[in-house]
Amino acid sequence: MARITAGVASSHIPALGATIDHGKTQEPYWQACFAGFEWTRAWEAAQKPDVVILVYNDHATAFDMDFIPTFAVGCAERYRSADEGWGPRPVPDVIGDPDLAWHIAQSCILDEFDMTMVSKMDVDHGLTVPLSLMFDQPEAWPCKVVPLAVNVVTYPPPSGNRCYALGEAIARAVESYPQDINVQIWGTGGMSHQLQGPRAGLINAEWDNRFLDDLVNDPQRLRHIPHIEYLRETGSEGIEMVMWLIMRGALGPNVRALHRHYHVPASNTAVGHIVLEPVA
Amino acid sequence: MTEATPTRQNIHDYLAELEDIPGTRVFTTARARKGYWLNQFCMTLMKSDNRARFKANERAYLDEWPMTEAQKQAVLNRDYNRALDEGGNIYFLAKVFFTDEISFLQAVGTMTGMDAAGYQAMMIAGGRSPVGLRSKKDPY
Repeated sequence: MARITAGVASSHIPALGATIDHGKTQEPYWQACFAGFEWTRAWEAAQKPDVVILVYNDHATAFDMDFIPTFAVGCAERYRSADEGWGPRPVPDVIGDPDLAWHIAQSCILDEFDMTMVSKMDVDHGLTVPLSLMFDQPEAWPCKVVPLAVNVVTYPPPSGNRCYALGEAIARAVESYPQDINVQIWGTGGMSHQLQGPRAGLINAEWDNRFLDDLVNDPQRLRHIPHIEYLRETGSEGIEMVMWLIMRGALGPNVRALHRHYHVPASNTAVGHIVLEPVA
Repeated sequence: MTEATPTRQNIHDYLAELEDIPGTRVFTTARARKGYWLNQFCMTLMKSDNRARFKANERAYLDEWPMTEAQKQAVLNRDYNRALDEGGNIYFLAKVFFTDEISFLQAVGTMTGMDAAGYQAMMIAGGRSPVGLRSKKDPY
């Protein structure tokens, strides 16, 4: 049977991708930021996941103002890197797992989640930057990926509670999948950032670190944080943290933190990263 | 199912709170509707041919879309606060930043009233504190 062996959360800032693509990760500005992912790269190389369910948000790339799905599961065979305005990132195509993706979609729909199924889309930095952070620059990504895109752009995004419950439903879906595969779930984006207006540049390290603490110790508190608190405390784009709760919900009640990293700044933002393992 | 019972939120209270954050335009459906063509214009810049045509004659390119004059002027002036007021969304407007070959950091800084070096220095020093910037009606 398929099993979820770990959860990974990480910010997915475009500048991190550009820095990797241009070979600048050792520059003084970036060094400390990237150092926090070295442990995870070595750990991932040993873990060898077969599939990563990668929870991310599309940044007006595959979904523009014409289609705004709240939860969209990528069911395609492969996904190309999107041209977000500076040309596509020079990274391998992302290989999907349509069988698992459709299984997750149908299982979650029977669990009363209204999933959108997508069989054709390009993927933007929200998805490719975390792959680069965890796997560096391979010729081909070392695992299949099931993209799970969450609307955190047009309000209202789903509540933290809804996201957590979706994570629980995804865990049930994976448990009922007959293939014996090692699955990880990643929640990406988030930690303090505000990319707009006179308040741009807001960073709340204290709030972010309490969120990281409670991903491990008190996830039930996190699922009831209202949108307005993310906005006031962590900036307008800090709302992306609801996606981490999908990852957390999929891991079950108890987890152990294997690794944790927090760094300010990367461009306009706080970088948060944590690796969790479910505990029976 | 372990889904906890959610507290149902009144939509009007929810929307009113979103307008209570200083220096912030939350991308509500009202803004999404107002900004439809501005944002869809931005999407066209995901193709290199379109970026080239836009750069060659910005005004002519903008005139191809049923945008308001205020939306067009906001783009021409790279006045991103104005663009947000006209219904633009930052992730769509980012296509313009990247067409201009500037980073998010450089573009976002222009909305703060700080110069680029000052904005970057603030970020390196830990960013902008939320203290006093959490609420318009009751700053804390």
